[in-house]
Amino acid sequence: MIDYSKKRFLVVDDFSDFRSSVTGMLRQLAVQNVDTAANGDEALAQCRRNTYDIILHDYNLGPGKNGQQVLEELHHAKLLSPHCIFVMVTAESSQAMVMAALETEPDAYLTKPFTRASLQQRLDKLVERKNVLKPILDALAKSDYRSVARASADIMASHPRYAPQCQRYLADALGELGQHAELETLLSKLVDDRPMPWALVALAGHYRASGQLDKARALYQRGIELFPMLPALYDGLAAVAVAEGDTLKAQQYVEQGVKISPNALRRQAELGKLAQQNQDHDRAVRAFRQAVDLGRNSAFRDPENHLNLAASLTDQAGDGSLNPRALVEVRQTLGELDKTWRDDPALAVRSNLMQARTLTKAGKADDARRIAEQAAERISEMSTFFPADVALAVASQLRDLGQAERAGEILATCAEMYGDDPKVMEGIAGQTDDTAILNAGADAQKHNREGIRHYQQKHFAEASESFRKALASQPRNISFALNTAQALLRLLAGKRDPELKAECLRCLGQVRNMPSTDPRYERYQKLQRTVESL
Amino acid sequence: MSEQEGPTLDFSTVIASTVHDMKNSLALLMQAYSASLAQLSPEMADTREHGIIEYESLRLNGMLVQMLGLYKLGVNQLPLRPTWLDIEDFLESQLARHDDILRARHIDGSYEVEVDGMMGYFDPELVGSVVANVINNSIRYARSAIHLEALMDGEQLCIAISDDGQGYPSQMIEKQSEYVLGIDMSTGSTGLGLYFGERIARLHQRNGIEGHIELTNESRLGGGEFRIWLP
Repeated sequence: MIDYSKKRFLVVDDFSDFRSSVTGMLRQLAVQNVDTAANGDEALAQCRRNTYDIILHDYNLGPGKNGQQVLEELHHAKLLSPHCIFVMVTAESSQAMVMAALETEPDAYLTKPFTRASLQQRLDKLVERKNVLKPILDALAKSDYRSVARASADIMASHPRYAPQCQRYLADALGELGQHAELETLLSKLVDDRPMPWALVALAGHYRASGQLDKARALYQRGIELFPMLPALYDGLAAVAVAEGDTLKAQQYVEQGVKISPNALRRQAELGKLAQQNQDHDRAVRAFRQAVDLGRNSAFRDPENHLNLAASLTDQAGDGSLNPRALVEVRQTLGELDKTWRDDPALAVRSNLMQARTLTKAGKADDARRIAEQAAERISEMSTFFPADVALAVASQLRDLGQAERAGEILATCAEMYGDDPKVMEGIAGQTDDTAILNAGADAQKHNREGIRHYQQKHFAEASESFRKALASQPRNISFALNTAQALLRLLAGKRDPELKAECLRCLGQVRNMPSTDPRYERYQKLQRTVESL
Repeated sequence: MSEQEGPTLDFSTVIASTVHDMKNSLALLMQAYSASLAQLSPEMADTREHGIIEYESLRLNGMLVQMLGLYKLGVNQLPLRPTWLDIEDFLESQLARHDDILRARHIDGSYEVEVDGMMGYFDPELVGSVVANVINNSIRYARSAIHLEALMDGEQLCIAISDDGQGYPSQMIEKQSEYVLGIDMSTGSTGLGLYFGERIARLHQRNGIEGHIELTNESRLGGGEFRIWLP
């Protein structure tokens, strides 16, 4: 007999009768601690306040978030411990299953109506399972993937009935640890015969990530024959097509995924972006409109969808002028953007520029100019600079709106911060032939390359010298600053030198306005923490 | 010829969304019923009428699940999500779903697996809905016992549900292939149930072999036996 008296429950359902009836059943199981919530936001709030052992969550909650969205947000906000049992309660499970992303599936589905006996039977099994898996879950809670892998292998051997769960934990851990060869061996064995959907998608994803595109495509296609209602397979095929440069085909695949599961925000956004690239403006408008709509209920709402919707609406007019209805929708969309992300000056600039572009298209040149000036003014107030691709787009918009000087400044900053990336320089070269901008970083890059060579040979003093030179010439370059700081840190490990430490912090300070979306942001924060702790 | 004005109603879509609401409604109804039942004394609760309410609502629920399943099959929207699972757990949960009604009717529900800890590869939701309907049906005919059994038939898993009733009518056994293919629907819900079971079984396939179902009276408990094979 499992003792439920100490377990803490959360019951989420929009019908109060249902909540009280389930609570009644739980009381019969001697449960003392039951909280209830009537909708997704309440459930999230409860989970922020308390830690639950078991959550019984209705899928269909009427307007607002559905159960799957709540589950995804709980994962995202790290409010769900691996030990927690999340049961999705549904009238019928197929709809919920199609919506569920493979990486955020509930522990179990329970279909209404259920009796106390069947509830208890399911809970008993789930509690038993989590008890056996406890060593894995403990390690997972600490993100200790080496222990996850070890415990998974142990439990697989001692409790074969839980092998399917252990294999999945093991695969995730191997992925996290970067043990790709072992991962491929494990997944290939699992997919060979009677494949589980997650394993098939994971193996195909692994092939894709390691550049084996033909193998990935073949496996996704085999998956579609077996599991035609699994949208992740179409997402995978689309990603393969994108990797091969075929965005038209990619769009078709994502459209198939959207047909199966239309309410997935990220899939709609992906479809919009592909349609945009393919000049399919009507489809782009519809997809981004959906993404904006779905975002209203979601922690995953993304301002890019608002900007893209506005852009697609403007593009839809082609060479003609923008119709009043589209203009109204652009205004509303950007208005919502400004209101929702009130405290983000970089977004405000982009919103202004988009509005100015739309106004130009609608034949309101004076209004457009005024707003463009306002945007240009705001750029100087930004404490964080744009990511490279956004900077390029902003520069191009500014120039189109008659702000050539401001556009040049943006390109110069962009070249300085991101100029070590040849792709970024290619983009800049597409917009300007100003040699001062294009060649400014050449010497610095030479020094940087030298520095990297020294660093690899563990000549940290020489490496620091070279990086210093690179950074002196391009003081806002993110890579140069981080490289310098890292080389100095090596020197600091040998001897504690307050001056060196101060210099290291200065280097990092020079790039503190890098966008937090930059892939190097994590490295920056880690360096900052390490140096500060010295 | 006159064109029809206005939007036309796609009746199957209407059914599908209504069934959804009906299921929710039924779930509330049944829960309210159990709550009010809990307030009665045991002798007052244990009446024939209560048994009928419980049993018929389970049947109603089973039919709704089946209807929705058939609709989704028809529009190719029924997801198959097979997984490896412990078969004993699966059988136990199938009986637990019917626990109240079995108890009320004094029917002994039992299950057995060929090998301890045997695992199966199938979609537990879909196969579960087929098995639940079969159990519902067996409850009607069983005198005192229902038995679930899982065994391996070569490389295929076979799940059998038998009862100690009078067995299937001989004409039903003879014509089962027609029910299974959906050719003969004259028996109403029973025939439809067989058709649904076969379709779910067939969704499960491996190396070109599809699952299937079979009815027989050569059963372990002497009554009818339903078998589903999953490759």
